[in-house]
Amino acid sequence: MDTLLTLAGGFGALLDLKVLAFMIAGFLVGTFFGAMPGLTSVLAIALILPITYTIDVVPALVMCASIFMAGMYSGSITATTINIPGAPSSMMTAIEGHQLMKKGFGANALGHAALGSMIGGSIGALLLMAFLPLAAEISLLIRTPGKFSLVLFALVVIIIVDRGAIAKGVVATLLGVMFATVGIDVLQPIPRFNFGTETLVEGIDLMPIVIGAFAISEVLIQAQSWRSSTGVIDAETKDMKIRRRDFVPPLSEIRRIGALTYLKSAFIGYGIGILPGAGGSMAAFVTYATARSSSRYPEEYGKGSREGIAAAESGNNSMCGGAFVPMLMFGIPGDPTTAIVLGVLVINGLQPGPRLLENQADLIAPMFASLFISALVLIPLTLFLFGPYFVRIVSIPKGLLYSAIAVVALVGSYVATYSIFQMSLAVGFGVLAYVMRRQNYSTVSMLLGFILGPDLEEYLRRSLSLADGNPMVFLTSLDSLFFLLLTVLFAYMILIRGRRKPTVV
Amino acid sequence: MDAKSRFLRAGILFPLVLIAVTTIYLAAAFDIRSPFAAPGEISPNGIPILTAVLMYVALLVVLVQEIRSPPDLPDESDDGSLLRPALVVVATGAYILLFRPLGYSLSTLLFVAALFVTFGFETRRPLRFALYAVGVTAVFYGLFALVFGVRLPTFPGIEF
Repeated sequence: MDTLLTLAGGFGALLDLKVLAFMIAGFLVGTFFGAMPGLTSVLAIALILPITYTIDVVPALVMCASIFMAGMYSGSITATTINIPGAPSSMMTAIEGHQLMKKGFGANALGHAALGSMIGGSIGALLLMAFLPLAAEISLLIRTPGKFSLVLFALVVIIIVDRGAIAKGVVATLLGVMFATVGIDVLQPIPRFNFGTETLVEGIDLMPIVIGAFAISEVLIQAQSWRSSTGVIDAETKDMKIRRRDFVPPLSEIRRIGALTYLKSAFIGYGIGILPGAGGSMAAFVTYATARSSSRYPEEYGKGSREGIAAAESGNNSMCGGAFVPMLMFGIPGDPTTAIVLGVLVINGLQPGPRLLENQADLIAPMFASLFISALVLIPLTLFLFGPYFVRIVSIPKGLLYSAIAVVALVGSYVATYSIFQMSLAVGFGVLAYVMRRQNYSTVSMLLGFILGPDLEEYLRRSLSLADGNPMVFLTSLDSLFFLLLTVLFAYMILIRGRRKPTVV
Repeated sequence: MDAKSRFLRAGILFPLVLIAVTTIYLAAAFDIRSPFAAPGEISPNGIPILTAVLMYVALLVVLVQEIRSPPDLPDESDDGSLLRPALVVVATGAYILLFRPLGYSLSTLLFVAALFVTFGFETRRPLRFALYAVGVTAVFYGLFALVFGVRLPTFPGIEF
């Protein structure tokens, strides 16, 4: 009953005009960044992070949730219209959506993508609200050795998900861990790696790493691969007339796709969201492949299958709800977006874990409500209002766009702490991330290593301290053993079984 | 590709730089002293030392993979020139240096103009170039200073 009242309070918080304005602004920013090829919702949230220092926690979290949902959906816009996915999670939608576009059903494809996103996103948000109390109960059962093994599990999975570059993933993660060790020790009041300076005693803030890794490095990457000042858009697409009524998918098509496809994709997407390192791309791929294998119309796939669009979009938007579970209950973000949201929580003095739901649920419930309302109301509303103009998004001059991003990133990193040092640090991390990205090192792994490194160290040292230095505690503690076995199982599934199976697209 | 250039490519140089950084990190880790050590406890330099050792192993694996891999083919998506990213970094460095002395407005205007030139945006139409540069500066002044109420540095004697 208390949980229901808290959730109702969360929806009530959205009636505050200021909070509502942040949710809508966040959704529009997320839609723009998600739809624009080369920009992502991660970049949008990264640019928003410094601003969260100056606003209350509720509007900040509400805005992050709406950006997340919008970014996941809006990648389908350019995926359909010009066959360039605005976000990697819309790769599957591009396969089917653009085929429909070429046949003259572009608006219909966008409508199906929006409907799938709406259903999947809403179900994901509902599942998050329904199962978070249960996840909180479970998290209370996990003791310190188990927490160590859980964080280790998350880091191992994040590294091995990129099978082609595991050693580079390890390097990137360890680099993040190294940066995290700068400052006061996690257990004792001893400064580490400050090299005689007072500035480094406080450690490295999350903000310059996020701004550097996702904003400044992107500007540098774009500077290197510079071609033209505007995006690619052919004359036929540019002159295409899109009518709003065409966005509404006919009931016969929805029936043909079937409620089961939407539901199954939403549940799978949510489950994938809980896994660390999986993200929207994997959710879309798995749900698309599942729908294809059980489809009554498999021959339509690759030629403009509405079912394929519905499954992929339902799956990737539902993933948003699942991704919040490990971050909120264990402080383990599975992807960069939730990692930055975790940063927003920590900046505002909120500590992830079961106590968060017990003591400060009123602060995070509006975020759940924002996730739900963004999916249920803002996705279809945005399509209806702005759909006919979506195709023109890519016409915005990139020189203007990336100059503006550079200004927001740098001024943002200054205003967060009024520190020129933080600004310089952001540029330093930007250059590092640029080199890493050019050399195929994952900046996401570096970020997650930075965030999870201190937890890993603290739980390891506490566990060994409590067990008088006996490492067997990680095997004799049942929760720890469970996560260690889970790590081995995932390593087997991804590295060994995954290698045997040929990739199917 | 001759043997010298094979070993001087970025794929090999970057891990070598990281090995040097890890060595400095490891040396600094050995300097960390704890007066609170208890039996069975890992001291504050334990994890950094372990991290450095794991880093060496991972970097060695990367180096072996890079040496064995065929030389990189030129990426079709870029012209391979580091000039533009370098110009962006120089402009950014200058912006950071001038941000407080010149204030937000003037330093940002110059920074945006430098980026427009780097990205070749409206460089042939000076009026539009100037209007866009002033526009970007003004829009983000409005966002940070007016909407979020942030105190931005000003040029000595001028408020905006």
